[in-house]
Amino acid sequence: MDFTLSNEQRSWQMTARKFAEEEIRPISLERDEIADPRETFDWEIIKKGSKLGFRTLAVPKEWGGHGTDFVTQALVMAELAKADSAISKTFSQCWKWSHLIAAACSEEQKRRFLKPFLEDDTFLLGKGISEPSAGSDNRLPPDDPKAGLKLRAERHGDEWILNGEKCFIANASVGKLFFIDARTDPNAPLRQGTTMFLVPRDTPGFRIGKVFNKDGWRFYQNGEMIFENARVPHANVVGPVNGSDMKTHQAGDRTGGDLFGDLELAANALGVCDDACGMALALARTKKQGGRVLFEQQAVQLKLNRMHLLTEALRSFVMRVAWEHDHKVHSANAGLAMNFSTDVIQEVTELNLDLHADAGVFDRRADKLVRDAIIWSHLAGDSVQRMKATRRLAR
Amino acid sequence: MYNLHLSPEQLQIRDTVRDFVAEVIKPLALKPERLEARVRPLLVEALDQAAEMGLRTLALSEEQGGAGADNLTCCIVTEEFAAGDPDVAAVLAQTSTLAQALFDRLMTAEQRARFLPPFLAEQRYHLALAEHEADRHAALGINYHRPQASGAPFKTTAVRAGDGWVVSGSKDGVVGASLATLFVVRASVGEGGVATLLVPRDTPGLSVTETETATRTRHGACGAVAFDDCRVPAENFLGAESPLAADAGRHIPQDQALNLGIGRAAYEAALDYAQLRTQGGRPIIEHQAIGAKLAEIAIRLEVARAAIWQAAWASDHPDAFADRSLPDLPLATIAAVFASEAIYRAAKDAAECFGAMGVMRDMPLQQYVHDALVCLHSGAGNTDAKLRIAEALARYRRPASAVVLAAE
Repeated sequence: MDFTLSNEQRSWQMTARKFAEEEIRPISLERDEIADPRETFDWEIIKKGSKLGFRTLAVPKEWGGHGTDFVTQALVMAELAKADSAISKTFSQCWKWSHLIAAACSEEQKRRFLKPFLEDDTFLLGKGISEPSAGSDNRLPPDDPKAGLKLRAERHGDEWILNGEKCFIANASVGKLFFIDARTDPNAPLRQGTTMFLVPRDTPGFRIGKVFNKDGWRFYQNGEMIFENARVPHANVVGPVNGSDMKTHQAGDRTGGDLFGDLELAANALGVCDDACGMALALARTKKQGGRVLFEQQAVQLKLNRMHLLTEALRSFVMRVAWEHDHKVHSANAGLAMNFSTDVIQEVTELNLDLHADAGVFDRRADKLVRDAIIWSHLAGDSVQRMKATRRLAR
Repeated sequence: MYNLHLSPEQLQIRDTVRDFVAEVIKPLALKPERLEARVRPLLVEALDQAAEMGLRTLALSEEQGGAGADNLTCCIVTEEFAAGDPDVAAVLAQTSTLAQALFDRLMTAEQRARFLPPFLAEQRYHLALAEHEADRHAALGINYHRPQASGAPFKTTAVRAGDGWVVSGSKDGVVGASLATLFVVRASVGEGGVATLLVPRDTPGLSVTETETATRTRHGACGAVAFDDCRVPAENFLGAESPLAADAGRHIPQDQALNLGIGRAAYEAALDYAQLRTQGGRPIIEHQAIGAKLAEIAIRLEVARAAIWQAAWASDHPDAFADRSLPDLPLATIAAVFASEAIYRAAKDAAECFGAMGVMRDMPLQQYVHDALVCLHSGAGNTDAKLRIAEALARYRRPASAVVLAAE
């Protein structure tokens, strides 16, 4: 296998590394420590990153984006995440949904939505699926029509009227355009009764509620969405009515949505692990006990060994999955890599914190990395996500 | 005989404290605005109520005005408090333990006559141990299986001056610092000696700084204490070495009981939620994945409790080591390593049952995970603890001349 990067891939990686070290890292801890979850966000870093192409990286070239391949996307996510996992995720969240626009939207929709997205450095994307009583039921839907999301959309002429609420929606408080899954046939099971809509931020009857106060990924905004007779034109229906799950099922080689999302979390975790390994190694080589650096101690070496072997195994897996996506190889590997990244990011960041604590050092960044890593539990490594990946094996 | 049949008194005190925690402490501790705050002030009123119930003087002998509870009972009570609020549990445990050590064992009759009456009379009179220092690396590390190369054990010094002592330096991670009335201060004297001094809070030159909750390395450790040329009268000298705690590794596993309380709070929350939350057409506890996860949490907590209670019982029955009923091992250290790792894992698993709610700051689960993480890293850490256990296995005895060797 050839893991050599092309000049273009290398160039993106270097640009991302420079931006991450010079612009993201200096603000990372300070944004994390702001107590009010609405105040952790910083538009300046988004604008700066956007000008370098990190917001529109995944939009195909024919639509005016950068059209990078998955290997490049994985490299860039990891580099940005090495400086701040949540800021990296804010950028890649836009790639996730620009993959979906490219894959699922009509030509007319692409014209209407991709153009403003490309032109505006503050144009962020999101997607609303989860609701207070529907989390796992959206991921592994039972046949019962009562299970799963309940946000209702009813057609009135050329418009759809949306009523209900979403919760835990990424970029909710900062996004300008959202994909919203709504129930259009309440008597059918979730996958046969749900339609996807494009809902701009300024849609009448649509507002953002609470912004959630997460313990990790604090920069990354996450909020409630409230729909009270929100009016969405029929022209904003994505794909067929009652066919929202097309993105995952009939998706062919369109690796939007879930496939990218799985790679995304694994690649982001890799960057965090790189940061933790770097911190731990630097500590071990500089911090002294009794006149000798910690690195000389066997217990320290064994922890560093574990951190690095897990991180390098994750790197191999992430790059392989990215390569498979680029070569349209379909497998359960993206899901498995995402599950694996949960175990790796948590163990590696915990070992880093452990090494600092053992040395009598309370390091705020080491603590932050552990809090960021906890986010993986419910996004990438819970039992539902593991079973979902497993079920691909039996398909 | 090793016997885990709790006495009627033990069961009664456990139920009393459990009810108090459910009715008084939990409603205060679980307020969203308190969970979200960067500084969680001590629940002083709840502490006062607990003191009224006699739980501040639980371990102090009945002759001196306490309840004379044994170590196992103290551990059971600490677990119950920690299930509500670990800081309350830590402060009560420390005052009770120090009261027993000071008033029953270490003070002279004259000191007792001065300090005991106000301690008993004032329910908010708490005791604190000012020992730990910020940049003192306490872990065994390179000194594993080697004579410890250390000069003065503390940077804080106590110097004889006229008819008393002058204390200078600073301590951090002091449990109960924000409200303690009397500090038991450990300071270096000369080359390798240590003095233990009783320093009242109102001593000129003594100041307390509160520590942010998020950066605490111990529960209840709400502050740092600085001594700026504090003059302490000679009659407040407690002793040169003053064994405040029993032999290393066989101490009362009260910190571990506290840790267990945190794990239990997380477990109980997850168990309740798993029976209420419906996904996939049934309560999530009826799904194998969640059922098995809850079982693993219960296994970890029960095995941790067994190790902690055995160590607690052993600290009540030191003769059980001598007659070979118990293995000649540092049982409290063993319980600490196992419990802290198992309970951190259990708290994370419990939080996972809540999905995204498990990571939100206004919900209790992330707090339990954080609190369990603090236990995992308290003291010198588990790497150090394992090395200490290993030295005990090898019957390694650090030579008394270590200080001299290090100075050469």
